[in-house]
Amino acid sequence: MKVILETKPRKKPRIPIEAETIIPQNFLRGTDITVFEGNKERVLDDLFYISVEGPAVSPDQVEIILRGDTGMIKRVGEYMNAGRIVVEGDIGMHCGNFMSAGEIVIQGNADSWLGREMRGGKITCLGNAGHYCAAGYRGEKRGVRGGRIEVMGNAGDFTAEYLSGGEVRIHGNAGDLAGVELREGTLVIEGSCSRPCGNMTGGTCMVFGKINDLLPTFKSLGIKEVDFEGKKVRMEIFRGDVANRGKGTLMRAV
Amino acid sequence: MSELLIRNACVIDPLNGINGEIMDISIRDGRIVEEVSGNAQVIDAAGCLTLPGGVDSHTHVCGTKVNFGRYMSPEDMRAGRTARNGCMHVTSGYSVPTTFGNSYRYSNMGYTTLLEGAMAPLEARHTHEEFTATPHQDMMANTLFDGNWAIMEAVRDKDVRRTAAVVAWYLKAARGFAIKLTNPGGTEAWGWGEDVSGIHDTVPNFEVTPAEIIGTMIRANEVLRLPHSVHLHCNNLGVPGNYQTTLDTIGLVPDLNKTRQSLYLTHVQFHSYGGTTWRDIDSKSEEICKAVNNTPQVTIDMGQIMFGRTTTMTADGPMEFKLYMLHRNKWSNHDVELETGSGIIPVYYFRKSMVNCVMWAIGLELALLTKNPWQCLLSTDNPNGAPFVKYPEIIALLMSKKLRDQECALLEPRTEHHVPLFAIDRELDWNEIAIMTRSAQAKALGIRDIGKGHLAPGAEADVAIYPLKTSEIDPSTQYQQVIAGFSRTKFTIKRGRVVSRNGEVIVDGANSTIWVKPKVPEEYNLSNDPDFVRKFQEYYTVRMSNYPVQDVYLPRGVCIETEADL
Repeated sequence: MKVILETKPRKKPRIPIEAETIIPQNFLRGTDITVFEGNKERVLDDLFYISVEGPAVSPDQVEIILRGDTGMIKRVGEYMNAGRIVVEGDIGMHCGNFMSAGEIVIQGNADSWLGREMRGGKITCLGNAGHYCAAGYRGEKRGVRGGRIEVMGNAGDFTAEYLSGGEVRIHGNAGDLAGVELREGTLVIEGSCSRPCGNMTGGTCMVFGKINDLLPTFKSLGIKEVDFEGKKVRMEIFRGDVANRGKGTLMRAV
Repeated sequence: MSELLIRNACVIDPLNGINGEIMDISIRDGRIVEEVSGNAQVIDAAGCLTLPGGVDSHTHVCGTKVNFGRYMSPEDMRAGRTARNGCMHVTSGYSVPTTFGNSYRYSNMGYTTLLEGAMAPLEARHTHEEFTATPHQDMMANTLFDGNWAIMEAVRDKDVRRTAAVVAWYLKAARGFAIKLTNPGGTEAWGWGEDVSGIHDTVPNFEVTPAEIIGTMIRANEVLRLPHSVHLHCNNLGVPGNYQTTLDTIGLVPDLNKTRQSLYLTHVQFHSYGGTTWRDIDSKSEEICKAVNNTPQVTIDMGQIMFGRTTTMTADGPMEFKLYMLHRNKWSNHDVELETGSGIIPVYYFRKSMVNCVMWAIGLELALLTKNPWQCLLSTDNPNGAPFVKYPEIIALLMSKKLRDQECALLEPRTEHHVPLFAIDRELDWNEIAIMTRSAQAKALGIRDIGKGHLAPGAEADVAIYPLKTSEIDPSTQYQQVIAGFSRTKFTIKRGRVVSRNGEVIVDGANSTIWVKPKVPEEYNLSNDPDFVRKFQEYYTVRMSNYPVQDVYLPRGVCIETEADL
């Protein structure tokens, strides 16, 4: 089943839409779904032109396509457990919160908190991602626990904070404090970043660009050749964060 | 003039000696009266159990540390969400809910008066702001004096009058209700990375002992004629073998007041451990209860724990650090300058853990072994032992040996050798439960005279009607009905208005904050005391003129003025 949701023009397009109900499993029972626009509850029909093609018997056969002015739609794909969501534009904050399976493809940019505390599945963002991409929520000790998040552009500050499983790949640059409190899992940044991995207690972070202001609590173990996606790359290996037992690994390309 | 008549109520009102009489209750303008006119609105209670509004004498629902518990636990905030509904605000949270969540849930259980267990005077404004947002309950705040420098200096000089003057100044400034001592001396020592291990240890830099602080404060409390006694959280909380400290503390208490206790010991469950390590911990509830039974000037509350998730929060900083060393999860510690400290940790109590099972048993034993129900009050030290929504389950456990046996069968098998609970047959009756959940609290807090905790004419019209027919239910076997009944009132009436009906909140509510102003002679007014003013300016980061809470923070304050005996 393919569900196409195209935004209708709104009088006040800056009012955010809270759309945690837009997940594949909800569309098996039809499109009789409500979302909040600001503090007003609206049926989906008020905000979107809806077209449904074909049948589906399980959520993994459902594909949702979001089209039009989607930049103010928040929490799309929260608690999603199967199926596929394609956003043909930008997406608002908190996309893919707690998702456990399925796939989200964002063709534009994503706002902050992309895939926060994700448990599994896959998120691909073809543009840039905002702050706290693949992070844990404030006060939570474990962030993303599984799955894969790939950002083709740049990501903001605190990327993959509290990462404790899964894989995060940023093809562009990451901002300040990427991978702080990293516990498990892999973070790969192909561009540059600053002050990465503070207080990490496990896991691996690879940076192929430049590291600005490397924290003094990382101890260099020398330069080694490392296998990365079938290729040999020369990386300088650091052990850290020494201030907190130093069981993590940070690598910097040389 | 609003009038209300409750017909056919099966009233239990222990303070007035009424036990299960079918009678009518007349209410006019928020007070109970002898009779009302024929135009009064009528509620038919249909023979259901009718009690005075519940009073919780030790709970943590408002204030900075509760708020810190809220924002360090996003997972807790995801639980228990309810949407806005009529006049009900949005609520969320389970162990540390939003203020409105607390208020509505207490209201559904028939509670109308709460005592916030610990308020640091410096942070009193925030506590009072949250009180205003807890609309269905009248609120009071215990004010922390455990590490107060001015108090400790007065205690060191063995000057009861000066201690009383300091208490009077701070109570008035913070708009507090009573004296709270949390690990007296220990929180101050913790500021230097140390703790005290008994009541005769010396607090670093102050040359006083916890025993001196407790003794002097009890006397100062009576000098000021405060409604409540000193409210004490003993030293050595949660340490195996700490029951000796508790017994020593009970041994200190002089009998100074005819109408109520002279010392209130809170969450005694956490202070009744025998043994030397977590491996050989055992219950010393029998020793504690023996001491309590022989010391009528002492009142305790249970501090029952219930299995499941919760958040611990206390002004006892060193103890929270020890907990962190056990759990290694997120935690916080906080120092309030010159006054006290605090700490917060989320915890989970497991049936698989022998220590947790022993703790669970001790709470129940305290309630069952204390002969006089006026001396042992029901509490969980919400949310430290369990969120207050578990009260109905505790009531059922106390009323039914059968339910206790069922629960005991699920405990860690070794527990049986460490606790006497398995051999206790006592089952409490409705009257004793009424005492332990409202009347004894009102008496212990000294708020009976302002009309709390009873239903005689002149009392505040706080009434809880539960869907329970005491003549038809046998609580020892039908405990499920008891739990359901106490979880949701038919009607909760606050100051003559129905605020909640069958679990649905129907009015916005407007509570009042009860505070105490001890009147002291001019020579004991510390605002004019050069030594106190100089130290205040030297040590505090706030100015003395900015320190007291302004009246605007208490839109509906009720002041109890006492005449100090100075």
